[in-house]
Amino acid sequence: MNQLTVSGISKSIGNSQLLTDVSFSPIPGEILGLIGPNGAGKTTLLEAMAGLVPVDSGTIKISDTPIALSSRKKYIWYQPDDIQPYAQQRVSTTLTFFCQSFGQDESTLEYLMQNLDLTPVLAKKFQELSKGYCRRVLLTIALLSRQPLLLLDEPFDGFDLRQTLSVMNLLRKTRAGRTFILSIHQLTEAERICDRFLLLAEGKVLAFGTLSELRGHVNRPETATLEDIFLAIA
Amino acid sequence: MQSPEPHTSHPPGITRLVLIQEIRSLLLSPALWIMLIIVSALVGYSFMQAVSLFSQASKTALDYPELATGMSPFSGIFVPTFGAYYLCQTLLLPFIAIRSIGLDKYNGTLKLLVQLPLSPFQLCGVKLVAMICVWLASLIPAVLVILLWKSAGGFIFWPEIFCLLTGHALYSLTVITLAMFAATVTDALPTAAMFCLAATLGSWVLDFAVSGKADLLAFWENISLTGMLRQFENGLLSSTHLVSFLSIALLFFVFTVIWLHPGEVIQRKILKTFVCIIGFVIINAGTQLAPRFVDLTENKHHSFPAQYTTALQQLDKPLTITINLSPQDSRLLDLKQDVLGKLQRTVPHLQVHYTTGTSGLFSKENDENYGLIQYRYANKTETSYSNSQEEILPIIFSLAGITPAKATSNSPKGHPLVTEIPKGKIIFYLALPLFFTGLAGYFRKNT
Repeated sequence: MNQLTVSGISKSIGNSQLLTDVSFSPIPGEILGLIGPNGAGKTTLLEAMAGLVPVDSGTIKISDTPIALSSRKKYIWYQPDDIQPYAQQRVSTTLTFFCQSFGQDESTLEYLMQNLDLTPVLAKKFQELSKGYCRRVLLTIALLSRQPLLLLDEPFDGFDLRQTLSVMNLLRKTRAGRTFILSIHQLTEAERICDRFLLLAEGKVLAFGTLSELRGHVNRPETATLEDIFLAIA
Repeated sequence: MQSPEPHTSHPPGITRLVLIQEIRSLLLSPALWIMLIIVSALVGYSFMQAVSLFSQASKTALDYPELATGMSPFSGIFVPTFGAYYLCQTLLLPFIAIRSIGLDKYNGTLKLLVQLPLSPFQLCGVKLVAMICVWLASLIPAVLVILLWKSAGGFIFWPEIFCLLTGHALYSLTVITLAMFAATVTDALPTAAMFCLAATLGSWVLDFAVSGKADLLAFWENISLTGMLRQFENGLLSSTHLVSFLSIALLFFVFTVIWLHPGEVIQRKILKTFVCIIGFVIINAGTQLAPRFVDLTENKHHSFPAQYTTALQQLDKPLTITINLSPQDSRLLDLKQDVLGKLQRTVPHLQVHYTTGTSGLFSKENDENYGLIQYRYANKTETSYSNSQEEILPIIFSLAGITPAKATSNSPKGHPLVTEIPKGKIIFYLALPLFFTGLAGYFRKNT
């Protein structure tokens, strides 16, 4: 995939400034963590990138060419958290629909369902699922998508440690050259999976880089965790 | 596993896939089945009431042939039966249409759908097609009504039924697109429902409000949903009402398309909406300039005999009619129905003026000219108190100096029928509701 650049995104609602001049460039194929406390603007930034909320200013570019709103879906798939797509339908029906819509073959769906242990809930309706299973179904839909940039909002929320590790493993295995941007507020999980980090607070970029670069940025030793760095910056 | 390149290839049949998914959602919606059960009961009740009243009137008509001429199954059976559809289309159908977009917004499905390789136009189109399927399903009781009436020996003049169905189809289409738009621009389903009902019921209420204002009424009937539907219920297919209905439905559909995508900036949405409104006004104004009418009634109730029509179409100067009658006066209503409407559809340059205000039925009783109607053509004037076609047309022909060919009789035959529908109650109150309940259970279990 060509270089994607997020350039100067600002978004406000009334007097509240949700994002202020956010700019960054993910490296193709990396897993980029969008780190910040609740209300930092992570979800708004992901939705702005996907073109699901209007912005006051800023552009998304591919190889220095701005991508129009109608073309974003060719490059970006955004998986929101806390949604219930086709809540009254069976999980198997919904997953098959998205599998066919993305033009994926059934074996891909089978593979994902097996790895995310969805077999017990396939006959259930989405609205009957526990929070953990909802997340797994949403993750399956996201991984069925074929866009080169995948934006995942809080993908590990609601998972226990074992499940989180299993999902991280699956993300790495299914990456296949795609760029992932994960919005995460649990710093330990972020440190485990992400290649680079974008630290966000009150809609502003505090720092951007690898863990090692961030340590250097705040003059912390090699043993400093992401949590230490975030506390030092925020 | 995944392609790292832009996802430009659309899987074949993506529109079909989304449509199937949309129909699945509707089939799992209790609201759909409740509506179908209520439609069955209401249509059945209206039909059986209409048959009962028609039979009673027919008993008298069979003894007095002159009364039989007024016995039309279209106005006696089908229009009242479809009145039940008007209720359902106004009060129930919007909730299903609102749900088709509102629920997707509420549970987040819409955020995924707008990212699929479908344009907002295609997405809204899919939802509209699914809602048209719902409307078609709601016609099952109507099909049974036609079959039962036919099997009871009743007469059906198909062009009239076509006109009635066209009117209800257009009304439903308008209500569906209005409801879809309401669901798109509001955040909560109840707000969308209120928005939609304000438009449909408001239109109905305003019909009453303007009924005492003759000048306003003519204008309002061209833009009121119920007023336009009434023209189709009269068996008169008019290009003005056809285009008005279609353009209103199209306008709300395009509004839905414009406002559906959450990422578009609001100023651009407003600008596009404004452009659409201008287009809507231009289309409707254009249609008003050259209206066309097709009288689909069996007895050509809305037309003069062909010989008179030909003669009236030759009037190349303006014909001015000044009416001194109160808007509520029954003579004016008869005049409008029997003469004015026909003249407006026939005479090329007709101007109608009203000299009375809206002050009520008895306010002009001391006016010695009250009730007088003045006809003016080519600087010649005639007056008359008559509201009958047989007396008015000779006045106009005399003013114009035309002698039309003798008209052949256009008197209606009438189709009185004394009958009853013995299995009606079982069919509409039991069998159909059970059928729909069974289908609801089947889809709930197997979808």
